[in-house]
This record gives sequence, C-alpha cells and structure tokens, in this order.
Amino acid sequence: MPNPVQNTAGLAVNFAELLERVENDHELLWDLLTIFKRDFPRHRDSLIEAIARAEMKQVESSSHALKGMFSNLAMTRAAAAAAHLEQMGRNRERAGLEDALAQLEHELASLLPELDAYLKEARR
Amino acid sequence: MKILIADDETLSRKLLEKILQRAGYDVIAVENGRLAAEQLCQPEGPRLALLDWMMPELDGPGVCREVRRRRKLSYVHMILLTSKESKEDIVQGLQSGADDYLIKPCDPEELKARLRTGLRILDLEEKLVEARENMRFKATHDPLTSLFNRGVILDLLGRELARTYREKGCTTLLLGDVDHFKNVNDTYGHAAGDDVLQEIARRLLASVRSYDLVGRYGGEEFLVVLNSCNATFAFARAEEIRRAVANTGVQTTRGPIRVTMSFGLLSSADWGVRPVEELLHETDAALYASKAAGRNCSSIARPKTSCAAQELPLHAPASRTR
Repeated sequence: MPNPVQNTAGLAVNFAELLERVENDHELLWDLLTIFKRDFPRHRDSLIEAIARAEMKQVESSSHALKGMFSNLAMTRAAAAAAHLEQMGRNRERAGLEDALAQLEHELASLLPELDAYLKEARR
Repeated sequence: MKILIADDETLSRKLLEKILQRAGYDVIAVENGRLAAEQLCQPEGPRLALLDWMMPELDGPGVCREVRRRRKLSYVHMILLTSKESKEDIVQGLQSGADDYLIKPCDPEELKARLRTGLRILDLEEKLVEARENMRFKATHDPLTSLFNRGVILDLLGRELARTYREKGCTTLLLGDVDHFKNVNDTYGHAAGDDVLQEIARRLLASVRSYDLVGRYGGEEFLVVLNSCNATFAFARAEEIRRAVANTGVQTTRGPIRVTMSFGLLSSADWGVRPVEELLHETDAALYASKAAGRNCSSIARPKTSCAAQELPLHAPASRTR
C-alpha cells in the first residue's frame, strides 16, 4: 500500500485525516474508495440533471449524498462545494447554481486524479 | 452487544460497520429507516442504534419516534448521525426520542466513547428493571413459599370468576389446610414446619396446570384456583392434589415427616353469580366438613337447595367424599 500521508499539503483529499478515520486500515480505505468510484458518478449525474431541470428538491438530495461521501473521505473542499449546492437546493435558490456546480467540478478535477493515483499505487 | 446501523449511503455504512466490528460489536446494518424501525421494535432486537438523520422511507427522528412508541419492554439507546449543526435541528432530533447525536463524519474514538456512554445507560436501566422486578415479586408473592400471597391470589380469583361468569364457564376453588400442622411445629420445630410448607407449595404447583393459580391463603392454608375446570372433574382433581401431598413424606432438616391435607372445594357453576367472599366462606365450610370427617379428605360445597346438600349430615352446605 502507498503511504499517502507524505506530502499531503494542498491535496484535495486529506489522507492523514482519512487514515485516522479508518484507523489506519488500508484495506478498508481501498474498499471505501472503490465504493466511492462506483457510486459517485450516479450522484454526480443526478445532480447535473437536477440543475439542468431546476428540480431544487433533487438538487438538495443529490448534493447531500455527495457531501456525505466527500466528508467521509476527508475531501474537505469538495464537501464544502457540495454543501453549498445543498443549501441552495434547500433554499430553492436557482440563481448561481451553474457557478456552484462549476466550483464543485473544479474541485473534482483535482480530486479524481489524486484518487486514481492512490488506487493505482495501491494496486502495485 | 448488538448494534444497528441505519444509513442509506453504502460508503458511510461500510465505514461505521468496520469500526464497530473492530470494537467488538455485533453489527446489523440496514439502508433505510423503515427497516431500522422493524429491527429495533423486535423483542430481541438491538438496544443500541446509530441512525442517519436523512434516510429514505423513514428518517432518523421518525425511527426514534416509532421505536419509543412501539418498544415498551426494554430501552433502546439511539444516536442520530447528522451533518445538521443548528440548535433547532439538534433540539428537534432529541425531542423525537434520540438520546444523543453525532456530527458526521464521526471521529472513531468519539463514536466509541459515545457508545460506551450508551452502554452505561443500558446497564443502569437493566439494574433498575431487575430491582423493580424483585420488588414486584416481593410485593406479590409469599416470602416462604414463593406462591402468590393472599392479596394477589384473591385479586386473581376475582378476575377469573368475572371471566367465568362472562363466558358462562366454570372455575373451581380449592381451599386446603395442612392437617395437625401445629403438631409439626411443636414436635419438630418451626424450621421443619417451614420445610413442610415449602414442599407442599412445590407439590401443589406441580399438581396443577400452567394456567391454574396457587396462593398461600394463610398460615398453613392454601388456595388453588382451577381455571375452566368442569365441576364433573373438579373433585377428581382435588383428590389428585390431596394424594400428591399425602402419598410421600416431606424431607425436612429434622428428617422425613408425613403430612396430609384436608380440602374444601367449590365449583362456581353450582353457585351462579356470587361475591368472592361468599364463595370463599362456603369453600371454607366445605374444608371444615373435611376436618370434621377425620381430615385427609375433600368435600364439595353445594348450595343449600341442591340434592347433594340434603344428603350431608355433617355440614349442611357441604358434601363430603372420601
């Protein structure tokens, strides 16, 4: 297993916090990240669709699901972006939704490669 | 210790499940609130629960409300998992019946510490329930024989007679008294006398059906209530019980002692709707008839107008059969 704790400054995933949460169980971490890779696209697609249709209740629930996943995996910045979208959904606040989604996508752009790199390294 | 985790998110469920299994819990994980409520409301269901706030079918506070409404016998310690941090949300969660809450994502050590607090509360509840049950037993049972005490057996008799009248059935009262019990105490001492009473109580209980009632009526007097016992069989039942006492000596600290009992019996079907006190008075009269007839026998109490009563020279309202 890789040691992801080294050089974590500025990363989208706080691996130090994440390892503490899984009590240094690398096997469990692998399982969780695999679940994330499997389930995340469904919630992301659901969110994008809800925003396109301005279905605010769905915006709220999809963002909530994403926020939970990000939070559990110590993806702090992505979790904050999802929380913002959830709040907008709850408040039925349509203006600025596209920008909020763009912010989340921006976070994902750095987060997903980090995860892939970790999983690739762990597979060796 | 069994614990229930309810969370619709697979990742969160898996994380909690692993942490708690590692901490020694027997984990049951479900993905919605309805399944959680079903599990928690079972009599042997988990008594510790971690409930996500937002779940399909039934949310965490909804589960708490349902469990508090439906599960009365044993307490369930429920912790809500939430990302909600406002005071209003927390108050709402606790008002639904939750005992505690944790902000997600949970720190494993804090989670385990909160669960230990829950275990302490459950342990305390178990001790309180045990103490209450002990007190209830002491208040309703005779301390020497552990049979129902006089107040309780009379209360139960009253209820049974009311049911019998309503359903037009028949209940038999059997009042038994240990013959020459004063001699047992005087000859062998009170400790041996206590042994005799305890053994008689055991034999009476062993001689009746699980739904019959046995109580200590007085010093050496016992009241047996035979539910749904047809008058035709009542006398045979009384004799079986009498023989169960008389046929074998009682082992006491002073050696084996042979004892017998006399019985008076009354079948409610013969007497119609009468107050409990009146029926007991008549049963006691039948018992007196058995004593007068030489003891170690059973007598049936019959209304004065019945043919059987006219055949009795010893005691008018009672018929004696040996």
